[in-house]
Amino acid sequence: MSSLKDKIVVITGGNSGIGYATAKAFLAKGAKVLITGRQPGAVQKAVHALGHPAEGFKADQSDMNDIRRLYDYLQGRFGKIDSLFVNAGVAKLAPFETVTEALYDELMNINFKGAYFTIQQLLPLISDGGTITLLSALNAYSGTPNATVLSASKAALNSLGRTLSRELAARKIRVNTVNHGIISTPLLEKAGLPDEARTHLSSITPLGRLGQPEDIASLVTFLASDDASFITGAEYNVDGGLMVHPLIA
Amino acid sequence: MDQLRNKTAVITGGNSGIGYATAADFLAKGAKVLITGRKPEAVQQAATALGGEIDSFIADQGVTADSQKLAEYVRDRYGKIDILFVNAGVAAFESVADVSEASFDTIMNINLKGAFFTVQHLLPLVNDGGTIILLSSVNAYSGMPGASVYSASKAGLNSLGRTLSRELASRKIRVNIVNPGPVATPIFEKSGIPKEAVNEEQMAKALPIGRIGQPEEIAKLVSFLASDDASFITGAEYNIDGGISVHPLIG
Repeated sequence: MSSLKDKIVVITGGNSGIGYATAKAFLAKGAKVLITGRQPGAVQKAVHALGHPAEGFKADQSDMNDIRRLYDYLQGRFGKIDSLFVNAGVAKLAPFETVTEALYDELMNINFKGAYFTIQQLLPLISDGGTITLLSALNAYSGTPNATVLSASKAALNSLGRTLSRELAARKIRVNTVNHGIISTPLLEKAGLPDEARTHLSSITPLGRLGQPEDIASLVTFLASDDASFITGAEYNVDGGLMVHPLIA
Repeated sequence: MDQLRNKTAVITGGNSGIGYATAADFLAKGAKVLITGRKPEAVQQAATALGGEIDSFIADQGVTADSQKLAEYVRDRYGKIDILFVNAGVAAFESVADVSEASFDTIMNINLKGAFFTVQHLLPLVNDGGTIILLSSVNAYSGMPGASVYSASKAGLNSLGRTLSRELASRKIRVNIVNPGPVATPIFEKSGIPKEAVNEEQMAKALPIGRIGQPEEIAKLVSFLASDDASFITGAEYNIDGGISVHPLIG
């Protein structure tokens, strides 16, 4: 995969799960990667595990000051970047009636507002012909109970991807969205998923298993590569077939 | 580049355009490839140009008996296959008022019925864990004037892909659909549309990316979906269209 050789890639929320697996896949294909994360210890550990030429930067993507500091750092360090993978996100579930303003703000601020301003602030650094890939979820199109805020934040993110694909086309910046299905990540663990739920989630996925972070990473690196040079404004599901509605089965 | 090493692939309509480019990409990634086509001379010429682990078979994918013969040939030649790329298709553009029954039947027979029975006949030969990729078009979701039959045939094809993804999941056969936008292929000429009726410059302007696609770009996505890199992807419909399907409303 020579098309990613020496490309400079920024991955938000890259110290675990899909972000981490994607950083690893980019490095394996010859790219230089900078990951961000909120917890300095976790970022440092991930960078160490990823090895050269991975780098880290501590940033909360929902904090405007952190986003501006990230811009300054990237400008000084690289000048220009080729690919931005907007991956940082949180998932929390709660029945509609119990959603507090704090929970609402937390999810929207990280998943959507943070993504929005991360892109806006870093955009001047993205080379013409570069790529932006947004990590969304099937929730952008589903009606999952207890996921009112999560789903709305992801639907907003997909909308942003579509609009940006048109706004940035003049600069030949390709913008695509990846909608993941049920993936085995720390995010799922953090949600406190019991074993029987895991078995259930595997069984409802037509391919009969949960996705692995690497399953997403291979698509994200493909979309960032020159192999995907005619792909923009696209929304690609990676979900083991879950999104195809069987009506009755 | 050995992503498809030891895989055997069948590509319908593989002697030109996207089918041909995909055959070349599959071969470059280590697969054995069989292409089909209607015209013996064109198929032979393509096979010679492709070289390597290529084979060919003369079949009209709009004729069910040909799909059956193809299946028999593939069974004798390879036993089992890993990848089926249902690519054969035709296009015609005329207003609803002008569509004859013959024109309707030709398009539906090749694009949808042919695809259906090609998959049905070859399915016993597709290995568990194998993959089927259907070449559709963004027309499956558009409302393009003059494309009533073509678009409906493609919408039907996408529907087939979705159903197959669920029906074949127990055999771990992944089924995906690729919807290209405007691509530089001979489909228009081959469908009897005069070259001057297709204004590529105007099409290019309509595309956010500012140009029409190349068959090789579609081939790369098809190869990706056929590879183990896509092992969690099934029932998906991927647009590859230079951004044209994103509706700008105004602008």
